[in-house]
Amino acid sequence: MLDGLKDIIRKSSIHVCLVNTGGCNGCDIEIVALLSPRYDLEQYGIYVHNNPREADVIIVTGAMAEQWVDKLQRVYAKTPEPKIVVAVGNCPLTGDVFNQEGGNVHAPVSDFIPVDAEVSGCPPRPSEILEALLTVAPGAIAARGRQKL
Amino acid sequence: MILPIGPVHPGLKEPLRLKLKTRGEKVLSAEIDYGYIHRGIERVMEGKTWQKGIFLAERVCGICSYIHTQTFAEVFEKIAGETVTLRAQYLRVLTNELDRIQSHLLANSTYFKAMEHETLFMYMLGLREPIMDAIELLTGNRVNMGWNVVGGVKMDIKQAHMDSILEIMDKFESEYGRYVEMFESGPLVGLRSHDVGKMTRDEALMARAVGPIGRASGLKHDVREQHHTYRDHMDWKVVWRKEGDNFARTMNRFDEIWESISLIRQVINNLPPGEVRKKIEIPAGDAEYRNEAPRGEVTYSVETNGNLIKNISIRTPSIMNIDACAKYMLKDVATVSDAVATYATSDPCIACTERVIILDESGRHLDFHGVHNINSKLKG
Ligand code: SF4
Repeated sequence: MLDGLKDIIRKSSIHVCLVNTGGCNGCDIEIVALLSPRYDLEQYGIYVHNNPREADVIIVTGAMAEQWVDKLQRVYAKTPEPKIVVAVGNCPLTGDVFNQEGGNVHAPVSDFIPVDAEVSGCPPRPSEILEALLTVAPGAIAARGRQKL
Repeated sequence: MILPIGPVHPGLKEPLRLKLKTRGEKVLSAEIDYGYIHRGIERVMEGKTWQKGIFLAERVCGICSYIHTQTFAEVFEKIAGETVTLRAQYLRVLTNELDRIQSHLLANSTYFKAMEHETLFMYMLGLREPIMDAIELLTGNRVNMGWNVVGGVKMDIKQAHMDSILEIMDKFESEYGRYVEMFESGPLVGLRSHDVGKMTRDEALMARAVGPIGRASGLKHDVREQHHTYRDHMDWKVVWRKEGDNFARTMNRFDEIWESISLIRQVINNLPPGEVRKKIEIPAGDAEYRNEAPRGEVTYSVETNGNLIKNISIRTPSIMNIDACAKYMLKDVATVSDAVATYATSDPCIACTERVIILDESGRHLDFHGVHNINSKLKG
């Protein structure tokens, strides 16, 4: 009973924290574009707050710059359970163009925190990001919640 | 009291640490910590061929990705001592102005979000989407376009595309004026913007502020005036203001969009016939080139041996503007929320900014607080 109620509420109110760990910003503005009336992220009950302490979903973009090596885990630890991590863009998956000789990046992000969903593209289209979020977020959050209890 | 904001914080879109020195609610001064997204992009470019370099240049910054490729291409054209065909030059102007419109709309929307005016924020993002469509129509991509090559642009434009872009512009123009008026004459938004975060002309000069931030403080400086295509073929004027507060910076960007719309019309109506791309032989040499990005002046200086990039240094406008914001705008601001709004009007783009890390002799990372602080440290 309580589980069912929690599921319903969690599914309809998902808070997102966006963490840029060293990309070109292209992915971040495509996520901002999701807020626009055309895509309207909030009609699905997803809110971008950028506050790790109240987030359910962490969206990671960027290729893990030096500074983030210890900080990303701290952001992850601050986020309450259940939480899921979505990596958006080629940067967190492979390091994209920055992962070459001379680059100062530590991609992939999955070396540091567990990643639940990945969206490739440089940058992916807003509709693809939206699709990934909607596919993975509500179900995964509800399932995680049950495992815990 | 020191109030730290960031690197991950509801008020900021990109990681940066803002330390506000406050007494009560009043913000006395601010300090900025950089270094969260340093990727070493200049170092990656060194030793690569210039054909590869242009894709790396595009990823210096995602919001103004277009102008980086144009400047990169033009610096190599300068080394070769050639100019591209007139049609290609016109098409570059077209894309550059479309990019400027979307960037200015995004910048203003961030400001409205920072001062909690959700309605205008949504309107700005709503207006931005048709412009992104126009960019996609022209280049095939929304953000990283891959549209410039050394020697011209990649594809020619078709009549049907030009017609649709003109149509989008007509629709945009008919709606756009209403929202500008909403901000300009709205009593509440005005109250929160007038005389907040003021920067005088002398301060702007001292901080080397560029772009709309400098122009809103009375520095009439736009690198497009020196660019050959804009100078010789286009009819436009530099937009600038005197007040130097949040209102002036936002209005300056709004007014520049009118100029951009007129430039886009001029390009499409007078597009000369011809090729869009030509072969250019690159000799060994070095050169420097400047262009006006949406946020101000961007400079590339490159040394090449004809094939590989030997040395490259990129100077983007944001670092100057963020420093100007921390040092001159954020002093004696009445409240913390005004300080965050002021920071948003300086149009910070952290990804552009981060190309430096500071190490001590043993290779340990030191904190980097901006160019002014390095200067003052060097002085003593
Ligand atoms: S994946 Fe591409 S667009 Fe996204 S942050 Fe990385 S370089 Fe930029």
